[in-house]
Amino acid sequence: MATPADAPAAGGNRSASLPITIERLVKSYGSFKALDDVSLSIRSGEFITLLGPSGSGKTTLLMVLAGFVRPQSGSVRFADREVVLLPPHKRDIGMVFQNYALFPHMTVAGNLAYPLKLRNVPAREIAGRVERALDLIQLSAFGERRIDQLSGGQRQRVALARAVIFEPRILLMDEPLSALDKNLREQMQLEVRRLHDRLGMTTVYVTHDQREALTMSDRIAVINRGRVVQLDRPRELYERPSTHFVASFIGESSTLPIEVRDGRASFAGAPLLSAAPAPAPASSAPSFLVLRPEKLRLLADAAPAEANVIAGHVRQNVFQGDSIVTYVRTASDHEIAIRRSLRTDEVLPEVGTAVRVGFSAEDAIIVPADADAPQTGRP
Amino acid sequence: MKFVAHALAAVALAATAGHVAPAAAQQTLTISSWGGAYQKAQREAWFNIVEKELGVTIKEETTSGVADVRAQVASGRPTWDLVQQGNYGCALLDKEGNTEPLTPAILGVKGIADNMKGKGWISNLVYATTLAWSDEKYRDKKPSSWADMWDTKTFPGGRTMRRSPVYALESALLADGVPMEKLYPLDTARAFKKLEAIKKDVVVWWASGAQSQQVLKDREVEMAAIWNGRAAALATEGEKVSLTFNQQMLLTDCWVVPKGAKNKDLAMKAIEIMSRPEVQARIALYINYGPANVEAFNTGIIKPEVAAKLPSSPENAKKGFVLDANYWAANLDELTKQFDLFIQR
Amino acid sequence: MTLALDQIAAGGTASGANEEALRRQAHGERRSMLALTLPALLLVGFVVLIPIGWLFWLSFVDKSGFTLIHYQRLLHPTYLLTLRTTFELAFTVTVVCLLLGYPLAYLASQLPRRWASLVLLCVLFPFWTSLLVRTYAWLVLLQRRGLVNTWLQKLGIIEEPLRLVHNFTGTAIGMTHIMLPFMVLPLYATMKTISEDYMRAAANLGASPIRAFWQIYVPLSFPGLAAGLIVVFVLSLGFYVTPALLGGGRVMMWAMQIERSTTVYADWGAASAMGVVLLVITLGILWLVSRLTGSAKLGEAR
Repeated sequence: MATPADAPAAGGNRSASLPITIERLVKSYGSFKALDDVSLSIRSGEFITLLGPSGSGKTTLLMVLAGFVRPQSGSVRFADREVVLLPPHKRDIGMVFQNYALFPHMTVAGNLAYPLKLRNVPAREIAGRVERALDLIQLSAFGERRIDQLSGGQRQRVALARAVIFEPRILLMDEPLSALDKNLREQMQLEVRRLHDRLGMTTVYVTHDQREALTMSDRIAVINRGRVVQLDRPRELYERPSTHFVASFIGESSTLPIEVRDGRASFAGAPLLSAAPAPAPASSAPSFLVLRPEKLRLLADAAPAEANVIAGHVRQNVFQGDSIVTYVRTASDHEIAIRRSLRTDEVLPEVGTAVRVGFSAEDAIIVPADADAPQTGRP
Repeated sequence: MKFVAHALAAVALAATAGHVAPAAAQQTLTISSWGGAYQKAQREAWFNIVEKELGVTIKEETTSGVADVRAQVASGRPTWDLVQQGNYGCALLDKEGNTEPLTPAILGVKGIADNMKGKGWISNLVYATTLAWSDEKYRDKKPSSWADMWDTKTFPGGRTMRRSPVYALESALLADGVPMEKLYPLDTARAFKKLEAIKKDVVVWWASGAQSQQVLKDREVEMAAIWNGRAAALATEGEKVSLTFNQQMLLTDCWVVPKGAKNKDLAMKAIEIMSRPEVQARIALYINYGPANVEAFNTGIIKPEVAAKLPSSPENAKKGFVLDANYWAANLDELTKQFDLFIQR
Repeated sequence: MTLALDQIAAGGTASGANEEALRRQAHGERRSMLALTLPALLLVGFVVLIPIGWLFWLSFVDKSGFTLIHYQRLLHPTYLLTLRTTFELAFTVTVVCLLLGYPLAYLASQLPRRWASLVLLCVLFPFWTSLLVRTYAWLVLLQRRGLVNTWLQKLGIIEEPLRLVHNFTGTAIGMTHIMLPFMVLPLYATMKTISEDYMRAAANLGASPIRAFWQIYVPLSFPGLAAGLIVVFVLSLGFYVTPALLGGGRVMMWAMQIERSTTVYADWGAASAMGVVLLVITLGILWLVSRLTGSAKLGEAR
């Protein structure tokens, strides 16, 4: 698995990656629209994540890219080449499956050699490349092992190596880390990202885990009900979600229904002094105020009034080690979560205590009330 | 098929066992026969007479062949007093010393030919392997001898013969021109050579009477070496099938008393009664088999039209010959192996 | 484990709280497990071990004691020929079952559940009719004036009826019909467990559908394939009724020779010897197959 940077593939100067252009893809199963007019431009060498709840269409989109699902209409181009009619075995793209799909009747080395054999790579060269690949995934001693003799993490690495050993310029990954336990998953997230950076191929990664998406991606396409709801870099997505769905799906948040009139927002009949609506919703539209727990402050009731304060009383404190989450219930019966790190000697507000929650105008996110997903309260 | 009959008979016996009143004072004679319709006919024709005359109760069992008798004798205490066997089975058991010698009273009964009895066995019933054919196939010229079975030019069509050297070798030699009275000991080399000539036309080597009946009925074959009762049954059903008693090969069923049988004296008396012409004749009233005692045909019990269909009636018997039980008792094993090799090749 | 460590910590004494009672409880559990398996063990003993032992014993004795005469008898060419026929027939039936059964099982495994059940129902249907009835049905179909020949003649394809039955061909057809479920069921069970992702992975790595099928799907179906092949072959070796009725007498199977030994020769010793030979051959095949499949896995690993 020589990286294109330090050892270009034999036979030419082909680039390490290809851009992908997806235009107006439609795929429906009966009345269910898995892909509802999806268009997406993925840059060459980019690590893009398709993020969405289960049934959103993200996996269907990946399957269309791989050629396993035939859409009703639309176009998929790798660079300038239309591939939507191309059978999967002619697409020359790597893929890591959710369950790895390593061939149990072959050894680790056999699995790695398989795509090379299919490409008629000379036996000597295969041996060398398999050996280097095994080195890279730190399984040099495991070449002769059968797949069922490997741990989950080892299988994961073999699957990854098999997907890239033939130097595809596009790599697809279908929730590849979902079967691993939390620590291993977090470690693998970094490894996968480093591998991508090293090999440079365009990578399309599917997950339903927003944290994983935020950790790994150049850009994230949030998908819901067969549509791309928002396409953006992780930080923009987190801080400037464009819809209520994105806001509630990415990161934790408390969502409060507000009314915006003449550029002024009010909550439960009381005006919020200076919430900056961005983007500005249409006049007097029903909207949501999205508050990230870590950007809120808990104010003592006696503190002087300031802008952007919501009153309520403490309902529950949840200790999480590195932080504590306090849930505050407002008089209008909405719940707001506040995450803080605690000083060792700090006393927690007792349940039932009247408190006020304060936030800065620039941390307030106002999104239109869309029909997508009326998720409120705890994420 | 026999197996099924035996099983049914056994079930029937078991079912009726509870209703038979225990004959406290009476002696019990145990007779084992082939079961089925045949044994029922024997009960009506013979066993009832024996019970009355000797004042005994006859308990019925069923047998499937010589192995049963061997086992009975080997056990040292046979529970069967009298057993029905096929004729070379009888001869074999006799040769092996598994039978009690017959009493002079039995040997004194007139009408049973010498080749139908031995030191320890005597025949009671005669059936035959005959040449039968489809009249639809052979409308004008009919086959009349085993030579016609081999004559596939005059009589084209499939043949069936029993999957056994018994009958097959005899019919081959007869077809080859050996006279009936000079068959034994068989010239087996000549017989197999002659069989080779017909082999490709033998569609089926039948293993059961039912099978021979079925292939002739379905016109899978046009000509058959078949038990007379089976061919007659087809004709009765309305099939256009005929048979000839010419060159028929007579085979008998016979009685033996297992060596060491508990009631052997009683058994001998029973055989003597069942061998008498007037008792023998009764069997033809209940089933389509002929009595072994030719005198039975002079008793007036068997009507002439019935006698005409029985292989052992004097008119028919003289057209054929009786299978040499002693020859087959001595050679069955080896010739069967040769025969099996021959049909498999 | 924890208990053991505790004991060591406590200075190696074997007197923790409730230890005796807990051990008794464990003992009791083992005893009741044994009691549960006992009927099965007895059954196996009575219906398998004792009869086989008896068979074995019978094959080595005659009136005068120990003898090899029953085995010497089997050297007669007729038995050798029968053994060959038996193997040829079993092999033919196995191959035909494979050729028919594999696509059938594959079809069933790819169909939606309801349709798959229908296909399997059709395959299983023979199980619910009597062996004799099925065999006679083939006779009716295949004989000279049977349906097949009549149709072929009416369609003008043949002039003279074909000899489809009372020979090797007819026997093989009848046996294949009866054996097919034994091939299809284990294959289907295995194929059902083969994830679609394997074929997708193969395609993704560049394998054409045909290569993926041969290089990935077939090897993955091997457990069911091996089971099907062995069951069909071994059961075919012991077949009796179908060859007896459809073989026209000239197709002699080993089991038919055993029957001949008991009914014609009344020779239980010879019959037992033949039974032992069949048993040994069957066990030999099973052993060979388990060796081969074992080394096949190792071979893949190399």
